[in-house]
Amino acid sequence: MATVEVRDLRKRYQDFLALDGVSLRAETGQLVTLLGPSGCGKSTTLRCLAGFLEPNGGDILVEGESILSTPANRRGFGVVFQNYALFPHMTVAENIGYGLKLQKLPKGEIETRVYDVMKLVRLDGLGDRLPREISGGQQQRVALARALVLKPRLLLLDEPLANLDARLRDEVRWLIRDLQQQSGITAFYVTHDQSEAMAMSDMVAVMKAGRVAQFATPREIYQKPVERYVADFTGEANFLSCDEVAVTGEGRYSIAVAGTTLDLGGVAGITSDTPVELLLRPEALRLTSVDEATFRGTVTKSAFLGAALHCEITLPGGGVLKLSAEPNANVRTGDEVGIAIDHSHAWLMPEVAP
Amino acid sequence: MSDATSTFSYQRPVGLTFGVLIVVLYVFLMAPLVMIIGASFTESLMIEFPPKGLSMQWYVEFFNRQDLVDGLLMSLRIGAITAIVTTAVAVMAAMAGQVISGRLSGWFQLGMTLPLLVPELLTAVGLLFFLYKIELGRTVIGLQMGHILMSFPYAYVSIAAALRQVPGSLEEASASLGATGWQTFRLVILPLIMPGLAMGAIFAFINSFDLYTISLLLKPLGGNTLPLALFDFLTYEFKPTAAAAATLSILLSIGGVALVQKLVGLQRAF
Ligand SMILES: Nc1ncnc2c1ncn2[C@@H]1O[C@H](COP(=O)(O)OP(=O)(O)O)[C@@H](O)[C@H]1O
Ligand SMILES: [Mg+2]
Repeated sequence: MATVEVRDLRKRYQDFLALDGVSLRAETGQLVTLLGPSGCGKSTTLRCLAGFLEPNGGDILVEGESILSTPANRRGFGVVFQNYALFPHMTVAENIGYGLKLQKLPKGEIETRVYDVMKLVRLDGLGDRLPREISGGQQQRVALARALVLKPRLLLLDEPLANLDARLRDEVRWLIRDLQQQSGITAFYVTHDQSEAMAMSDMVAVMKAGRVAQFATPREIYQKPVERYVADFTGEANFLSCDEVAVTGEGRYSIAVAGTTLDLGGVAGITSDTPVELLLRPEALRLTSVDEATFRGTVTKSAFLGAALHCEITLPGGGVLKLSAEPNANVRTGDEVGIAIDHSHAWLMPEVAP
Repeated sequence: MSDATSTFSYQRPVGLTFGVLIVVLYVFLMAPLVMIIGASFTESLMIEFPPKGLSMQWYVEFFNRQDLVDGLLMSLRIGAITAIVTTAVAVMAAMAGQVISGRLSGWFQLGMTLPLLVPELLTAVGLLFFLYKIELGRTVIGLQMGHILMSFPYAYVSIAAALRQVPGSLEEASASLGATGWQTFRLVILPLIMPGLAMGAIFAFINSFDLYTISLLLKPLGGNTLPLALFDFLTYEFKPTAAAAATLSILLSIGGVALVQKLVGLQRAF
């Protein structure tokens, strides 16, 4: 249980700068997700936290104290690896009890603690199996149990679900979140899957080429991204370029776009010369009759997805809007349609954060 | 996947010429072994094949010859020490080799196998001069050093290969669970490389048991390894005792190889 602060972390591999000033903070009991495409430095950040890598600059503070000079085996952090890293020559119970055995606890206590945690992650009865004799999802839970049984100050998870199939992924995801919340453990979680990040996190850090592009709550990341990159990485998004921008207040703007004027909120500090984009999430858009519409356009694609009808509508200016319509909506390719927008879900942001 | 492999193993038998070639190769490889083993059971006074009659007398004779038994014991002792020392050093070298990265790593590997690449005679001559210089010429310790040097690459190659199979994340996991470097080595790495390690030790032993040239040059005063003793023996007497000794050596090697096979099987299990 601890607050963790990462300050301006830098890491260089030969002549490649993998981390270029990463700053993050996790309050006690929070789950902080590092989200970003492959190669943006998520694992490197996590490995610096774990003590497997020595950063070239910056600091890591736990409860306000730097831990950089503490070796990995004395940090008291639990780590869950993408490939699980179970010891192949030890049984499930031996794997889980490994850390307790190192602490030279009495045999009886080790047994009860291993037994309890196995029950917690639903591995009852598998104690005598070898890792290769159990399924991927079970291996994942052994890895989790092995870290949790030591009651770590901080839990570090590097893409723990990446090797699981979709159904298991969902199940283990909630298991991780439940255990983390029940035990009140602070956690850092690495993933490149935005839905995973949204669903599990208290805070999300969207990473971009060795930096943190935005560090905020999942809601803020999704609804108020600081730049196009963040919006793109956190879900379905439509972008329209704007013709004219006028500042009407603190973080309020009036823009001319695709033949109409819109009043909306946006990232603070945009001026009339900032290259900007209008973000419209699909759920901010609704098909409507042509005369009530904010935008008019032609349907260029429609696909029935079961729960919804996916439509792509091309505006006269050339912009394309993707949205989900009601599954039985009578929309065909080539139709002229109107689109109403929910102003509270429209968001103005710079193309690239300054 | 098992389907794919079985298609391969059940493919049409190889062509006739290829089959004949394999038989010829095996005959070529096995003939000396068959002849020497056969000859060791003869009743006659000469090494000959096919053997005349069947007797164990030359084995009795072998164990009654002090010079040959001394040679055997010396070879066994030197082989055992060689196996232990090379294995210990090779583990350390292989672990160091893992830390070295990039271009340097290739040179390191090459360096570790150098004794295989330099002709044995040259190594022996060089070592002879060196040992005299440090006043270990013609001593058992000097000979032992020569054997360790010549057998080291076998242990190194086998152990380094086993170590490469151990993912680095296991060491990190172990550390994150509170293990010191030594604990990680003892509890995780060592058990995982054990088959490769035992294999390396057996190879080193067999190699040492077999060495002739280097033993000849570094031969200690009043001591002989089995190959040297056998050669001396054959120079004066051409008796089937030598065949019996050779058969014993062959049995030892086959035992070693069988053990290796078993260990390779174990290795696959991981
Ligand atoms: N040991 C290494 N040596 C050189 N470059 C590395 C090394 N590890 C990672 N990198 C590079 O650093 C960048 C960040 O890597 P990583 O943190 O693993 O990314 P990810 O966000 O996918 O986890 C990548 O471009 C990767 O190629
Ligand atoms: Mg990664």
